[in-house]
Amino acid sequence: MANDIHYLPQGREIEIFQTAANNKLPVLIKGPTGCGKTRFVEYMAAELGRPLHTVACHDDLTASDLVGRHLIGADGTYWQDGPLTRAVREGGICYLDEVVEARKDTTVVLHPLSDHRRVLPIERTGETIEAHPDFMLVISYNPGYQNLIKGLKPSTRQRFVAMSFDYPDPEQEVVIVCQESGVDKQTAQQLVALGNDLRRLKDHDLEEAASTRLLIYAAMMIQSGLTQSEACTACLAQPLSDEPETLVAIERLIQAHF
Amino acid sequence: MEEFVGELWHKLITRQAQTDFAEAKVEFASLQSQLATYFRAMGGEPGKNLEGTGPRAFNPKRRLAQRMAGSHRHFAVCWQDDRGLRLPISLAYFPDSALNEALYFWQTALAAQLPTIRHWFADNQQATHDLLKKRPGLAAGYQQLAEATLKTRPDLETLKGPELERELAIQQAIREPGSVDQLPIAVGDPLPVPIWIYPAPLYALSPDSDDDLDDMGDGSRAEKQLNTGRKQAERIDDAKQTDGLLVFKLECLFTWAEQVDLDRCQEENLDDDSSTADDLDIITLSRKRRAGAARLKFDLDLPSAQNDDLPVGEGIRLPEWDYRKQAYIKDYCLLQPMLADDALPAAVPDYLRNQARVLKNRFSMLRPQRTWQRRQPYGDEIDLDAWLELKTQPLRNEEHQDLYRARNNPQRDLACLLLSDLSMSTDAGLGANGDSDQRVIDVIRDTMLLFAEALSSTGDPFAIYGFSSVKNKQVRYQLLKNFSEAYGDQARGRLLAVKPGFYTRMGAAIRQSTEVLKLQKSQQRLMLILSDGKPNDIDRYEGRYGIEDTRRAVIEAKQQGIQPFCVTIDERGNDYLPYLFGEQCYAVVNDLARLPVLLPKLYLNLTGISA
Repeated sequence: MANDIHYLPQGREIEIFQTAANNKLPVLIKGPTGCGKTRFVEYMAAELGRPLHTVACHDDLTASDLVGRHLIGADGTYWQDGPLTRAVREGGICYLDEVVEARKDTTVVLHPLSDHRRVLPIERTGETIEAHPDFMLVISYNPGYQNLIKGLKPSTRQRFVAMSFDYPDPEQEVVIVCQESGVDKQTAQQLVALGNDLRRLKDHDLEEAASTRLLIYAAMMIQSGLTQSEACTACLAQPLSDEPETLVAIERLIQAHF
Repeated sequence: MEEFVGELWHKLITRQAQTDFAEAKVEFASLQSQLATYFRAMGGEPGKNLEGTGPRAFNPKRRLAQRMAGSHRHFAVCWQDDRGLRLPISLAYFPDSALNEALYFWQTALAAQLPTIRHWFADNQQATHDLLKKRPGLAAGYQQLAEATLKTRPDLETLKGPELERELAIQQAIREPGSVDQLPIAVGDPLPVPIWIYPAPLYALSPDSDDDLDDMGDGSRAEKQLNTGRKQAERIDDAKQTDGLLVFKLECLFTWAEQVDLDRCQEENLDDDSSTADDLDIITLSRKRRAGAARLKFDLDLPSAQNDDLPVGEGIRLPEWDYRKQAYIKDYCLLQPMLADDALPAAVPDYLRNQARVLKNRFSMLRPQRTWQRRQPYGDEIDLDAWLELKTQPLRNEEHQDLYRARNNPQRDLACLLLSDLSMSTDAGLGANGDSDQRVIDVIRDTMLLFAEALSSTGDPFAIYGFSSVKNKQVRYQLLKNFSEAYGDQARGRLLAVKPGFYTRMGAAIRQSTEVLKLQKSQQRLMLILSDGKPNDIDRYEGRYGIEDTRRAVIEAKQQGIQPFCVTIDERGNDYLPYLFGEQCYAVVNDLARLPVLLPKLYLNLTGISA
């Protein structure tokens, strides 16, 4: 099958996802920011040939944003399906990104969908939709934020096949950075080495580590003609910290690489 | 007149002898935090501290003027041991201050590359070579430093014989790291090379060591001994500081004897006890043992009534969980709330003022945002969702529809109680060997203070309590700031006056904190527990009993809708905290010095305010 999306597997995640899809099981993906969760889901959607409905969850996302609501048209009111309902009806992958950000009530609508019932009851219309055989629920979250108030309830987590993602190995990451940005291998290697230096600072000086995504951004900026140190400052120093002292240290670190 | 001439002469000679560039001096203190971050990013162990160090004694060949001035016997070099990286308190090797600054960063990077040093000459070359290969951006900077260093090397024409050969080898090694294998042997020390790392000094070698005494206190000559195995072993011993003075050895014996007699504290780690020496590293443990040995004496050690804090009320009776019976022992603990009524009101101490200000600013920005509330009977805007629903579901009751959106009061519904362990173990010094001047309790005190400063600017209700215990009949529950009191100089004075107490009967303290938090009407109730080790007391409250009771207390708190979270500085916390608090509900802080800054950050993460 032709698949235009590039994804470099780190382990057996493709097989696991595939098997879960064949068994109609929902999948939970956890991992730090920018390590390739969304890209993986896009890739798998293309691989399985199913449409992808992505919902970026935010703290004001309600159940009706997912399920749908009544609207008023020229001929009176009509029901408008939300992205979840559409995927349930027509088949396809519904991907809820950063699901913990959503309000608590939204996860409840996921429960009957994510166990053996595979149904979506819509309270407002009194309808109960049976899920299309190709429907698949995928949610993701970042366990790095130890957050007591927003967390995934164990009862929700229990319903998913879970996979843990992390930043790729340096060699793989070099390949990814080259592939995505088109920089030469040597620059990519230096960027990845710098990224790994920065990752050591997590929890200590930085709240979050430099993601693969940021490394790719930096590589793209370099590829478009920005000097290496400018690109690194703009993409790898400033986004990660506001502390002047930490920034100076990161600047020094960049100079040590380029 | 004589004095005047003497002074002139002194000035003249010292100026003649002078090789430092005072006008280009760079201070370590101004770069410390940057260097620390740099060190960690370069792969240095995150637990290591960066500290300033004074000059070290060397014995290089000196010029006449230098000999007359009595200078050039001490040099500022960079070295490291298990505890930390020591950088010179100031650097003035080079005429350009930018170069001196670059030297600090170079030393830091090289030290991260070279955590243990075996052979001064070979290892430095190898590490430099590796570092430049790994981080090519450093090459240009190294070139500058190397050139500047070569300019400060002794004039080759003044040297002869083995000294000349040695100097040539060093200069070659600086120019092309990794190119020279052996350092020729010569009298005295070579002039120290500032761009290299030095081994830890051997000051504390035991007097009865068979090491050549001439070689003591001078790590730079390690290069002479190509067979370095012996020396290295000695260095490891040195770091443990267990075989120094004879007195210390006797002390070893005492502690060992006590330990065997008492059969205390050791039931959990019988296996570890095979090496008494290792145990001795942990000063807190041995202190506790001694106190436990003299139990009677210990009770007399309790402060007298007038010197003690004011007990509030009669005390509160609390149950305790006995895991062997799988039942509560009713009213077993007597918890005594205490108030330090004699603590004077105090302002933020000077050394914390800066940090407190930064935190306050940061937290005051995080005052809860006004958010929209849906479906209100009145408000600023129409709630379109509610209105649509009304229109599309005409059967519903048309009266009493809440069709507006309103901005709510900016109040986060979150109450936080910070419970600090004030047990005796917090009296221990910081650092791996517990020999620093700063004690754990000082850090805990600063942490509580900064936490209070930060939270007082968010407007979230919070309370701070401390606890320690002497058996079940006296669990001291120190009231530092309660929920209803406004945070001010009074509460700050009490925070600053905290003293380390006795033992850690954690279960009772958690139960009481649960009671306090239950009275708060907030929706989210967070109990942060700041601890330095396992629960223990001098009766049976230790080992499994203490763990089980604490776990039970945590479960009770969770059942009341309270979220307990434990922050520990115990490196072994990972062993038992998951069982006590649950997988996601604890954090181990490795670098104690950063705890005061980390705790407010952790609070933000936990409450999801910044995420």
